Amino acid sequence: MPLLLPIALKAGPFHATPSLLLHKTAGTGECIHMTEAILASDLVNILRAISARMNEDRNYLSELDGQIGDADHGASMAQGFAAVVRALHDANPEDAPLSDLFSIAARSFINAVGGAPGPLYASAMMSAAAFIGDARRLTPAQALQLIEAMSAGIAKRGKAVPGDKTMMDVWSPAAHAVRTGLEAGLPAHEVLDRACAAAQAGCEATRAMIASRGRASRLGARSLGHLDPGAASAAAIIEVIATELRATGKMGLRPGAE
Amino acid sequence: MGRPRSPANAATAPDREDGIPLRFGDDPLLWAAWLYYEEGMTQGDIAEAIGVSRATVNAYLADARARGVVNIQIVQEKFQSLTISNALKDHFGLEECIVIPTDGGDGSLIQRLGSVGAQVLSKLMKSGDTIGVTWGRTTLALAMAMRGRDLQDLRVVQATGGTTARIKWTPEACATRLAEAIGARCIPISSPAMVSSPEVRDMLLREAVLTEQFAALADVNRIVLGISSLRPESTIHTSGFFDDARPHSDYIEAVGSIAGRFINARGEPVVGPLDARTIGIELADLKKIHQRIAVAGGFDKVPAMLAALRGGFVNVLVTDSATGRGILTADSYVASTRRSTPAPPSEVPAARRSIVKKLINNPAAIVSESLEGAVLAHPHLIAPIDGSLRSLVARDGPRPGKVGLVIGGGAGHEPGFLGYVGRGLADAVAIGNVFAAPPPDPILACTLAANGGSGVLYVYGNYSGDVMNFDIAAEMAEAQGITVRTIVTTDDIASGPLDNRGGRRGVAGNMFIFKIAGAACDQMLPLDTCEALTRHANARTYTVGIALEPCSMPDTRRPSFVLGDNDIEIGVGVHGEPGVARQKLGTADDAADLMIDRILSEMNPSEGDRVAVLVNSLGGTPMMELYVINRRVRQRLKARGIAVHATWVGHYFTSLDMVGASLSILHLDETLTDLLDAPCNGAAIYRPGPA
Repeated sequence: MPLLLPIALKAGPFHATPSLLLHKTAGTGECIHMTEAILASDLVNILRAISARMNEDRNYLSELDGQIGDADHGASMAQGFAAVVRALHDANPEDAPLSDLFSIAARSFINAVGGAPGPLYASAMMSAAAFIGDARRLTPAQALQLIEAMSAGIAKRGKAVPGDKTMMDVWSPAAHAVRTGLEAGLPAHEVLDRACAAAQAGCEATRAMIASRGRASRLGARSLGHLDPGAASAAAIIEVIATELRATGKMGLRPGAE
Repeated sequence: MGRPRSPANAATAPDREDGIPLRFGDDPLLWAAWLYYEEGMTQGDIAEAIGVSRATVNAYLADARARGVVNIQIVQEKFQSLTISNALKDHFGLEECIVIPTDGGDGSLIQRLGSVGAQVLSKLMKSGDTIGVTWGRTTLALAMAMRGRDLQDLRVVQATGGTTARIKWTPEACATRLAEAIGARCIPISSPAMVSSPEVRDMLLREAVLTEQFAALADVNRIVLGISSLRPESTIHTSGFFDDARPHSDYIEAVGSIAGRFINARGEPVVGPLDARTIGIELADLKKIHQRIAVAGGFDKVPAMLAALRGGFVNVLVTDSATGRGILTADSYVASTRRSTPAPPSEVPAARRSIVKKLINNPAAIVSESLEGAVLAHPHLIAPIDGSLRSLVARDGPRPGKVGLVIGGGAGHEPGFLGYVGRGLADAVAIGNVFAAPPPDPILACTLAANGGSGVLYVYGNYSGDVMNFDIAAEMAEAQGITVRTIVTTDDIASGPLDNRGGRRGVAGNMFIFKIAGAACDQMLPLDTCEALTRHANARTYTVGIALEPCSMPDTRRPSFVLGDNDIEIGVGVHGEPGVARQKLGTADDAADLMIDRILSEMNPSEGDRVAVLVNSLGGTPMMELYVINRRVRQRLKARGIAVHATWVGHYFTSLDMVGASLSILHLDETLTDLLDAPCNGAAIYRPGPA
């Protein structure tokens, strides 16, 4: 049965979107200084750290979810990323192309979680895999662009837009901060700070929103005043990505220098 | 204080000159209060009538209130409005805040906001004022409702350029109407609000006419503001004001718009390429205006209004109570409890409840262990597909030429989903984690197992997770040459308004819809027909649920939401999602009435119609109580002249251990009756074949 998913992924739903392909794919291009290159081991560390964080936040996220949903968000996210970590451990992908790592993560996540976060984060990770192409290492800028790619994947599958009180209220501004930061030629660590701040602000802003997608949308105005749990987990994920990328020492600042 | 000013009439005037009328006992306070509040006499008249000084009457009346002889009550809705207006005023440091009841009164909310806004402006404005005005539906309503006062030297200045859009509430219309109504000189901005480039704008602004008009704009000492949401449904997108506001990624942060400029959730201006092309007041200048009167209401505007308040763009606010409450909630405002207010149903009980006891080995394994037990309990009905418990197939179901029926959803609804698999029912079921949609892989496995070469029907409840996973599975199945049709069930009428039926969720009424779909497929009807009949069944199935106690997840073993001691939650979801409203628990008959009222008002049956009834436990409510509900449901149906063709009472679609019940009614016609009566054999529902 596990064989079926990759075939279908290529056949359709998760295939790289045309808009995404307009981004320069990461595989080709600039020569990367080895001291700055983001490697498979760095990405695996990020996914592990996300898993640890989701496990820490599990009860908090479920409590948020209980206020406007069915109280399982914490468990779903924790189980999903735990499955990712297990699958990566089994697959030992450190020598494989980076994109395989995200494909494996996507598959294990969706099959462990289902629900709404399953397809959404699987799409995010497949979108990241498509962005990476056959690259074996990433520049700091490309590592940042993973946030953009993930955001695009979620948007395409979930069709939510900012203001709907969903995880897109976090992913979209974070992706936007990455895009504008890179366009402005800011140093990688600063772009990271901005993405993180945008994610936090986006998460906080969901308090004032009325859910118009997902289960909470049936609540109407009673969803006001509550943080969206999907936004909260997304902000945590982006925070972990930022922390871990900084910790590699490859984002233009030494670890601990900030 | 607004009491009736009818003159005292002779018949009710004091009937004894020499003392207190008997009916008041020996109580002068009661007498004075009666004359004042009931007879509507003035204090002076009362003094004369009872032979004391006016000051004494005044003291009597004060005493009467203090001693509770008189109890002044403010109408609930007005009281709430006042409480909210005080809270908004305190919380955001407003000069003045007027809150009108959201419901009731004549006219739409916009009309009513407009007319109250007009009264407010009318009270605040003074001779010599230069009044700025933006645009929008509410602003126009205000202008239309405005009545002249005898003031002099008034000017009204249009705060932005104009638009050519075919809407009534253009900047020009708002300014002109307002100026006409109050007899002011109208100063327009003689240019479009949005021009093609910054260069054009700069050129235009150097024109003498515009320079003069902008000078008047700089003199504005009072402004009437509309606040626009940027939600897709907002009229801002059809205003013609912005050629394309939303697509600009520069405005991704923006949550609202004032005078054609954008602000973010913190109330800070969001600057983008449109700014340099906009002709109109700038936010920084707007903030300097002495009095900034915002008139706005509606839930979609809450984020925008909150942002405008946070940014200090408003110091006089006119809104409605629901929006006002929404803004306060969104800003995490907690009311001080210095006085006893008519308490809304309690939100949070004082003590957190302890962990709920459950029979669990390991929360992570509960779904698999439960499925293992289910398969062992019904070995003649269901079997795992390829050894996976997450996809089960009917032992006697799929066969060549038959449309395959695949259902599915999260665990926690038992006998939900797996109980509806068998002959005459679904061919296969995919099961997710507790309350979570199954992933695409098991759904695809079910599809392959159910496929008889004539297409496969997916029927499941309308939840975004289920939709995404089933859609992915459908795409995968199509890639293997299997035609898939999807019907999402939407029987929960409390979960959305009638005009958005497609957005409602699917709950216990699934039982009827699965039954009808299963019968259609079992009769070897073609895919199109099976699909149409299933849609027909969905359209005629109505469910309302109420919860008395929340359910608790195996993982947390804590209540997933909190209900006060005497509260019930109406329209609660089968995943323990909080319902759409909360109210006090009444009797079983009250609860039954609440459900059947809603259903009948939407179903609108004719006398003599036939229905099928399902009184379902959400998990924790016992059969005994369900029968009591059923009794009342039958009384009500009988009174309506509706015949009950079949009844199910019991645990058919649960939410773990939630205490509560749902009522589902299938509005039968001949076709649906035949399909409902067709034989079937599943763990949750059995209909014998013809004898």
